[in-house]
Amino acid sequence: MKVDPTLPDRLARTGGFNASACINCGSCTALCPLGMGPFPRQLFRYVLLGAREEVVRHTEEIYSCLLCKMCEDNCPAGVHIAENVRTLRTFLGREELGLATSEV
Amino acid sequence: MTEEQAPDPPPTPERRRVGVFICQCGGNISDYVDTEKVRETLERDPEVAHAEVQMFACSDAGQGAIVKAIREKKLDGLVVASCSPKLHTLTFRGAARRAGLNPYEYTQANVREQDSWAHTHDREGATTKAVAIARAALAHTARSRPLEPIRTETAPAALVVGAGVAGLRAAVGLSDLGVSVHVVERAEQAGGQLARWDRIFPNDRSGKEIVRGLLEEVAKRENIVLFTGAELVSKEGHLGDFTVHVRTRTGEVIPLKVGAIVVATGYEPYRPAKGELGYGLEGVITLPEYEELLGDGTGPLEYHGRPVQTVTYVYCVGSRDASGGEGSHTYCSRYCCSATSFAAIRTGGRGTPVHQYHLFRDVRTYGKYESLYERALASGSVFLRYRDDAPPKVALEGGRLVVRLSDQLSGGAEVEIPTDLVVLVVGMVPRENAALTGVLKLPIGREGFFNEIHQKLRPVETVVDGVFLAGTAQGPKNVAESVASALSSVSKTAGILLKGYVDLDPLVAKVDASACTWCGACAEACPYGAIEEVVEGEKHIARVVPVSCKGEGACVPVCTAQAIEVEGYTHDQVLAMIDALAAEE
Repeated sequence: MKVDPTLPDRLARTGGFNASACINCGSCTALCPLGMGPFPRQLFRYVLLGAREEVVRHTEEIYSCLLCKMCEDNCPAGVHIAENVRTLRTFLGREELGLATSEV
Repeated sequence: MTEEQAPDPPPTPERRRVGVFICQCGGNISDYVDTEKVRETLERDPEVAHAEVQMFACSDAGQGAIVKAIREKKLDGLVVASCSPKLHTLTFRGAARRAGLNPYEYTQANVREQDSWAHTHDREGATTKAVAIARAALAHTARSRPLEPIRTETAPAALVVGAGVAGLRAAVGLSDLGVSVHVVERAEQAGGQLARWDRIFPNDRSGKEIVRGLLEEVAKRENIVLFTGAELVSKEGHLGDFTVHVRTRTGEVIPLKVGAIVVATGYEPYRPAKGELGYGLEGVITLPEYEELLGDGTGPLEYHGRPVQTVTYVYCVGSRDASGGEGSHTYCSRYCCSATSFAAIRTGGRGTPVHQYHLFRDVRTYGKYESLYERALASGSVFLRYRDDAPPKVALEGGRLVVRLSDQLSGGAEVEIPTDLVVLVVGMVPRENAALTGVLKLPIGREGFFNEIHQKLRPVETVVDGVFLAGTAQGPKNVAESVASALSSVSKTAGILLKGYVDLDPLVAKVDASACTWCGACAEACPYGAIEEVVEGEKHIARVVPVSCKGEGACVPVCTAQAIEVEGYTHDQVLAMIDALAAEE
């Protein structure tokens, strides 16, 4: 995959996406009650690297999230995981699924 | 050897009262050696007045028991069967001294490194060997005599080799304590590597200003003389009284009298080979080169007139090389993770956004520098982890630099990074100093830096008495650590020189004047020039200069008249030790 800094820049600027503090410990993935593969650590990493196709490939996981915040409560780096998932839903809805109307 | 052929052991003058302590080392010894059996066997020897097993002889309680036994049983010799004498000779000499016993009546028997650790599979054999080693030490102590240290006066001046941050700080520190200092710097300008850096972590000070400040302090002091463009060419003498020769800028060789020498010769940044990680391609530079590019600037970052929008750092270049090849740099250079995080923070503050990718192996922003890593993350740096056996690849494709790696934090995914600059985060390597190393006779460690005596407890002392280490000559350090090490060498140096004298180990060679016929073989064999020819009455004989002698013993085997021996290792003692080791149970 080729890095593309414009994707994280855009999501940060318009949707407040911020996962830069992530230290890749994987607590979030281990704690997720749905146990969904790359979710959420690896997914956020795809965003930071700008791997758009990887983000799109995991649309189902992004929409399946319960927003229970088990991960966020336990994140040692204080990443606002649930907010980031909402931002990704808006982004996917508008640009991939033709759902949302607001600017992302 | 049969009983009949064996020569009689050299007689001991009178029956001694030796105390023997067998240390279990908390199981390190007693798990493989029957320490109680060793004690019982030794106790039967007529010269042993006390024998005791201890869990840790070196502990406060252990030393206390030794002191008590010496006093109560009026012991006149001491043997501790424990670890290597390198660890605890001084410990137990101290215990002897506190109990009123001459410290040189003590012998350490090494039944750990040379026995229990080596024979973990054979308890019986290890026990037999421990008995033999302890008996040899007993034979040695039984033939020992009380010795007093050799006292020599010290010159209140020091030589500092190298005028980087460590050398300059050491010079100022020594000067403030009243020691005159000569600083010798090979380069034309003082300041060393630090003088190249505009900004250094952690508090954003200028390296150039730090050096300038130190040079101002040096200039203020009358008792510091700084020679630049100069070299140390020879060193003679000993701790407290060295004569060194310095070749100055003009080629003149001048002698200086100093009591101690501080070696602060620093490091060099690792220079990547052409083609290593793309080095040599336009836009592939080292961290020091990138620092020069960043400089003191605040505006948008440019390289060769082109704006820089993406920077990719490759860490551990010339550090932590796992290949193990000839001259490979296997160590961590310590400063680089923090320095690169700090460079990333400053890059992020240059007006226009710069995308930064850090290709690392492990982030080692240890201690207080962890916050630099956190700040680098917060400012948008992305960290990608590569494996040591699969370093990133750097290529120039269609006029654009591209870095490829397998990112371990993305499940090993192949990631491609188009970039404007590739910064190779180079480690510290030892300086080429063969001539100086020869002059100072300093041992060099596996990594190529000068070796300290003890990594934890004696971090700036060397095996050459009176020669100390400061800064990165000893191993990679950041500026704060270099200065700490420089000040440590200041306190060691001043501690010796300000007292006005030093006490040297009396375990030196001595000549039997009646047997000596002066053939000169001993003087030739001595690497320290410690033996001279003197006339005594009608006779020419050899004389040992005690302060120059290291007690190393090269003179002993070459003497055909057996007229020279080393105190503490006399013929008598050595023969008795061999007999004890060879004796059958």
